[in-house]
Amino acid sequence: MKKIGIHTRWLVTLLFLVGLAGQAEAKAPWQWQISLVPESRNDAMHMPHGLFIDASKDRYYVVDSGNNRLLSFDRKGQLLHAFTADDQLKSPIGMIRTETDDLWIVERGRNSLTQIDIRNKQTVPHTITDRGRLVFPDRIEYTNGSLYLLDKASGSILVLDLKLSVRQRIAAPTGKDNGGLVDFVLHGNEVWALDQKAKAVYRFKADGTVGGRINLGVEAHFPVSLAIGPRGFLYILDRLDNDIKAYDQEGRFSYSFLGAGQAQGQLYYPEEIRFDPWGNLCVVDEGNGRVEVYSR
Amino acid sequence: MRKTILFSFFVLFCLCLSCVARAENVCFKCHTKAHFEKKNVHQPLRDGKCGACHNPHVAKYKGLLQQQGAQLCFACHTAAAKDFAKGVVHAPVRKGECLACHDAHSSNSSALMRKDLAATCLECHKALAEKNKYSHAPFAKGQCLACHRPHQAANQLLLTENSDKLCLGCHQEATLAKGHQGFPSTPQKCLSCHNPHGSNRKALVRNILHEPFAKGCDDCHGKGDAIDSVDICLKCHQNIKEKLYTTHNHLTSAGGNGCLSCHSPHAGDRKDLLKAGQQQICRSCHEETYRRKEASSFQHPDSTSCSNCHDVHGSNDLAMVRGNGNSVCAKCHKSQGQFTHPVGEKVLDPRNGQMVTCVSCHYPMGTEFKFQLKQNGSKELCVPCHRTY
Repeated sequence: MKKIGIHTRWLVTLLFLVGLAGQAEAKAPWQWQISLVPESRNDAMHMPHGLFIDASKDRYYVVDSGNNRLLSFDRKGQLLHAFTADDQLKSPIGMIRTETDDLWIVERGRNSLTQIDIRNKQTVPHTITDRGRLVFPDRIEYTNGSLYLLDKASGSILVLDLKLSVRQRIAAPTGKDNGGLVDFVLHGNEVWALDQKAKAVYRFKADGTVGGRINLGVEAHFPVSLAIGPRGFLYILDRLDNDIKAYDQEGRFSYSFLGAGQAQGQLYYPEEIRFDPWGNLCVVDEGNGRVEVYSR
Repeated sequence: MRKTILFSFFVLFCLCLSCVARAENVCFKCHTKAHFEKKNVHQPLRDGKCGACHNPHVAKYKGLLQQQGAQLCFACHTAAAKDFAKGVVHAPVRKGECLACHDAHSSNSSALMRKDLAATCLECHKALAEKNKYSHAPFAKGQCLACHRPHQAANQLLLTENSDKLCLGCHQEATLAKGHQGFPSTPQKCLSCHNPHGSNRKALVRNILHEPFAKGCDDCHGKGDAIDSVDICLKCHQNIKEKLYTTHNHLTSAGGNGCLSCHSPHAGDRKDLLKAGQQQICRSCHEETYRRKEASSFQHPDSTSCSNCHDVHGSNDLAMVRGNGNSVCAKCHKSQGQFTHPVGEKVLDPRNGQMVTCVSCHYPMGTEFKFQLKQNGSKELCVPCHRTY
């Protein structure tokens, strides 16, 4: 009896230590690397909204909405340039850069998708309509000559060519819990999109049909952005909880990290998460006026 | 030896039982028994087990109760504890206030309701008590449970069914189609135009009509415009268009007209034609925000109307607030707007380089600290910025 007791105690201790180690691995796999912020405190970002990462140029572009400008940073987080398009930008919230060096900027202040030809210093705002309806551009992505644009008015994603003709529409199936899409990322040939109200992520195939749905479960409270990690984990930014929730390849909740606050490693009304091509997870933290970059 | 110990415990247990029983018998020496003898009596009381809820000597809670609020009730009503946490939960249930509706001892109403059903409901839902020219029959008869569940439901407004399905349970589809000139072919979104309790208009059409609807249908439906987009509304409501051009606009839609997420296009009970009370509308998407607010020990007073602080159509400020984290507060807190801890554009938070505002330290939605402070005001709140202290 006594021997069994000792063995049991050892076993419990061992299991406890293994559990602790596992917990540490599950709870804190991400380490802060750099913050994308201007060096001068007097030049701080104000309500940054979007992030675009140019792998070919090793650059991060941050959309500094409150200051009506775009900031570019190198991979070490050094500010390279601030671009205001001669003070013409009006509440920009998102951007992409094409291989021909054209910038496409979503300007909420004039509800336009604005094309900027940097070489010729030309700025052309475009009001987008689809089937006669006014489009409210929101999140934007680009690949192979196609612009993927989230229309906030319809809660769907429009695929446009560079002449801004709508080629395809991607929408979640209509249903009682469907509240419209609020964010999306391109992943291989698929589009993964987040439905905030349904608390679900839809996987759309190349033809726009639904290939799968991942329910985020009771852990998600106010999801606003999603990213897919190199290992296939799904990451969800929760604006109410001020944290990031990780789901495994099967869509099962795994762990959450970060939390509310102003200090480094804390979030305050975060807006967007994206993976950079080097495997780092970038968080656009609107309330704290910065983008923080985490690596495993 | 072991048998002796077990026997001793048994004797002690029997003694305790007899003490409790004797104590309960003596309760009515002071507490007038007649007060507990209405038509329906709560089972423990009927069995003379006052001790099931009360401690006769000393207790932490008022009324010498063994537990506080719903925790006491859930000790016996175990299934209710699980069921009442699901879906849309009635506010008193969520707060654990069973006695808001029920009498713990006895009642002349069924289910130990404090008053008869409708009277109990109308104690809180006072606006429903207003007299209307026309009333919905179940409401007029006080049959609230014909449509609502009292504790929790899978549907908004604690409805027993999806609202359209519920209406069609009594109202024949063919008759309704006739009344709507055949459109829509299947009646839907009934509550968008009809008040299910009462109205001064025939057919319980809500009292305030959208101006174009009062004139007819053509202004919106007659010109071939797409009605399933916000464009149709923005043609007249130009002031709202500006709000939608803000960084935090409130456009939410799943393919339809986003305005209709909150507003009725035809008739409403309020001038703004909201589909329901503001809190109900906001809560339908921001349930967790409300749940946390209500669970907070210190909440901002007068926070029943979200639009006091938030610009519900859109704002260029964080959290869709009406101004930055200072100006929105200073509208009411005028003295703090003049004299307070330094705030404003020239005062930067050392943690993030952002402007210090009222919400750097306060979280008006509610916290566990007095004045809705984010941390204990004696130290933890100040040290993150004032590191040298």
